[in-house]
Amino acid sequence: MTKTDLELSLPISGMTCASCVSHVEGALKELPGVSNVVVNLAANKANLSYDPRRVKLDQMRRAVDDVGYAVPTAELTLDVRGMTCASCVDHVESALRELNGVTASVVNLGLGAAKVTYIPGLVSTSAMKRAVRDVGYEAQERSEGANALDRERQVREEEIKRQGRNLIIAGTIGLIVMIGTFYDMLGAFKAFVPEFLSYKWVIGLLTTPIVFGPGRQFFTNSWRGLKHGVTDMNLLYATGIGAAYGIAVINTLFPNAGFGGEGATFFESAALLTAFIILGRWLEALTRGRTSEAIRKLMKLQPKVARVMRNGQEEEVPADEVELGDAILVRPGESIAVDGEVFEGYSAVDESMLTGESLPVEKKAGDPVIGGTINKTGAFKFKATRVGKDTSLAQIIKLVEDAQASKAPIQKLADWVAGHFILGVHLLAVVVFLFWFFFGYQMFFDPNSSFIMSPYKLGEIGVFGFSLLLSVTVLVISCPCAVGLATPSAMMAGTGKGAEFGVLFKGAEAIENTSKLQTIIFDKTGTLTKGEPSVTDVVVSEQPALNRVAGSVNSDRLLQFAAIAERNSEHPLGEAIIRGAERRGLQVVEPETFNSIPGHGVEAKAERTEILLGNRKLMKERGADFSALMPQAEALEADGKTVMFVALNGQAAGLIAVADTLKEYSAEAIKRLHKLGLEVAMITGDNRRTAEAIARKVGIDRVLAEVLPQDKAEEVKKLQAQGKKVAMVGDGVNDAPALAQAEVGMAIGSGTDVAKETGDIILIKDDIRDVVVALEVAKATMRKVKQNLFWAFFYNTLGIPLGAGLFYAFASVVISPELAGLMMAVSSISVTLNTLLLKGFKPSVGRGQRPASTLRLQPAQAPTGND
Amino acid sequence: MEHEQVEKEVTRKSALIYLPISIGAALLFLLAASLTGNHPLVARIGGMVWVGLLSLIVSMPVVISRVKKQFQAVPLEK
Repeated sequence: MTKTDLELSLPISGMTCASCVSHVEGALKELPGVSNVVVNLAANKANLSYDPRRVKLDQMRRAVDDVGYAVPTAELTLDVRGMTCASCVDHVESALRELNGVTASVVNLGLGAAKVTYIPGLVSTSAMKRAVRDVGYEAQERSEGANALDRERQVREEEIKRQGRNLIIAGTIGLIVMIGTFYDMLGAFKAFVPEFLSYKWVIGLLTTPIVFGPGRQFFTNSWRGLKHGVTDMNLLYATGIGAAYGIAVINTLFPNAGFGGEGATFFESAALLTAFIILGRWLEALTRGRTSEAIRKLMKLQPKVARVMRNGQEEEVPADEVELGDAILVRPGESIAVDGEVFEGYSAVDESMLTGESLPVEKKAGDPVIGGTINKTGAFKFKATRVGKDTSLAQIIKLVEDAQASKAPIQKLADWVAGHFILGVHLLAVVVFLFWFFFGYQMFFDPNSSFIMSPYKLGEIGVFGFSLLLSVTVLVISCPCAVGLATPSAMMAGTGKGAEFGVLFKGAEAIENTSKLQTIIFDKTGTLTKGEPSVTDVVVSEQPALNRVAGSVNSDRLLQFAAIAERNSEHPLGEAIIRGAERRGLQVVEPETFNSIPGHGVEAKAERTEILLGNRKLMKERGADFSALMPQAEALEADGKTVMFVALNGQAAGLIAVADTLKEYSAEAIKRLHKLGLEVAMITGDNRRTAEAIARKVGIDRVLAEVLPQDKAEEVKKLQAQGKKVAMVGDGVNDAPALAQAEVGMAIGSGTDVAKETGDIILIKDDIRDVVVALEVAKATMRKVKQNLFWAFFYNTLGIPLGAGLFYAFASVVISPELAGLMMAVSSISVTLNTLLLKGFKPSVGRGQRPASTLRLQPAQAPTGND
Repeated sequence: MEHEQVEKEVTRKSALIYLPISIGAALLFLLAASLTGNHPLVARIGGMVWVGLLSLIVSMPVVISRVKKQFQAVPLEK
């Protein structure tokens, strides 16, 4: 890839199996200037890099068309105002055509309209409108224009409708053909069936519209591919159906030609085979869309309109036309259109759908708001700070989409196998035919045996018919469509499921790698701990002299004195003491005098008491005797805490210990990781004693202490050198090199500004338990992938020998082509249904204690105002 | 335009390879079926067509993609 290369995510329609993937990939790779082509079957997308100077979008579209698939396009009509002549038409048309993603534009001057044909996802409506505006005209979208989401659904619904229509035709006529074929076996039911239906020529006439109607797609698609040197599963079906139908026609028209005569017309094979394959396609189209439901839900969060304040007037404009800096009014119950900052009003906003935070978040002037979230109680105005594709929601959608379009290593292998499978199957079909023709028929043939699901006695068929049918059955039963669906469908469901819980996987590879992890390294500060010190212990001296000089002193009083002394200090430890006092409801008054002793502490006077606060060196210098408290001070220090000494009126009054405290769920998360069988390590720049104290509290197995930020990646490398699969959990900015070095980098607590984050997994919330969620989702997804691959290969492994007649020698059982077609349809459906079971997955963490889904809105509670 | 010409040339050159392969395989089958056993003429002809068709399906994509690769390799070497 060169600097001038652009990245493109091209939607592809018509792909049904892994071999389709390799064909589309092959067709695109052959174009000059195209590189890094990755096609995803489940997402129906081709991601690639291309050099715009060497290859045009239209060439890519043609290349995809040439191999039998299509780049779906959408049409949009813009009302264009201000056009007066033919040259205006040319200007508008050219402006639109120059946009990347627009394939055609036709302007009608009389109607004042521009009809634009474009590739959804590559170009936005607002870009088109901007392009028209830039050349001096006004453009407005006509209301009937469908957005990308609607279009995507529309395409899927059209496919369901098309295959449904085909299924009704093939299924209904196929049923009649079957009744006619089995007429002699109907017994008492014969009375209800006209006899002419059993005539071979009638059955032939009924089968013909099935083969050339609903079945035509297999012939046309396979021929288009074959012409360009590609084979796909359409070819398997086309040869299967074509051979069965061709022989049946010959045997009907020329019964004495020697192909088995009237007793070996396989019309019902051709008819039912077509019907079953179409049944599979229809069910697949129905279920495949459901694996990407999460992304659809995210897309639905995108608000359609915004109330923008313009010239003091409230104006309702489409959300994608909101511009940076626009003032937007939001009323209770309305969605927030874009990201921004509140400048007027007060409310509580439900952000659960994006951040997983179940309680509404209070919003006042100066607070940020996220597009796609819902305002609950009050009205407020905010200024748009991020619009269009820069909003948090757009970033999250893009991230999830990209992840769904990526390919896991296991999938690359499966695609390769499936891609080469078709040719192998045709070769096998030749071998099977040759074997049964030259040897098998003579050695094993039993005239009394029959096909499963076929009325014929094999004796009527003859050597050619028998060998041909087995050869055709092998072609049909070997279809690797389930293999192609196994991995991407599970990956789509897995990434969607992760997004539901605020865990964003950046690619399918991230899921696969996460499922194999052995060691998790946590950055200490800000990840395991809160990253800000707080008061942990207050120890009061029990010396009687203290009461004489400072009155009755208890822990609250001691903390209060210390906080007063630190009131004017800006030292982080001082701030921790003040926060600690305030949390206990202690009044922190202004000291009468204050003096900072740099490097040692502070001294102050308040309530007729001299307060001295600092380290032991300061106390020694001022003659305060802390010998009685030294064992406690040392014990606190051994626990990794920073101890400050407090003297009142020259007497040792007590100790205040301050430490960076653990986050609420750190210990729980690590316990759960241990349960999953993982080793947990902690990396920090702190000294070993402090680090080990923290590690003991949460149950960390391995401590990597005194590591400078720039050396963290090196520590990760050392663990990897021991053969461990390592994940690094940290904040995405400071720990970027270590996150990049690890097999899996998890950026935690990033909020919704996901675009800036490094790492393979982004945990939106600042909840360390989401590491466990990420692992569980990844493991569940990979379990599904493996199950799917097992089932897909199981069908083929069992089906091919059965179809090839391997068991015929022992059991006189031969599978018929139509049953083979049914089996293959069942294999695809079972794989997709198995994937859909992932929809019910719930992580073990905090079941019932946390929002089950970030995409399902929780009933809001009134804000307390002091959260 | 140049791309389309290359495509045509690839198609022509490939056909000169895969057609003889398929016809050869079909004739070989006919010969084998005639020399061995007592297969009826129609079965031999039917088998020949089927073997020829499958050989065509197998050889076509293999040959076309190889020829295409040869054509693509030429400008890179320049």
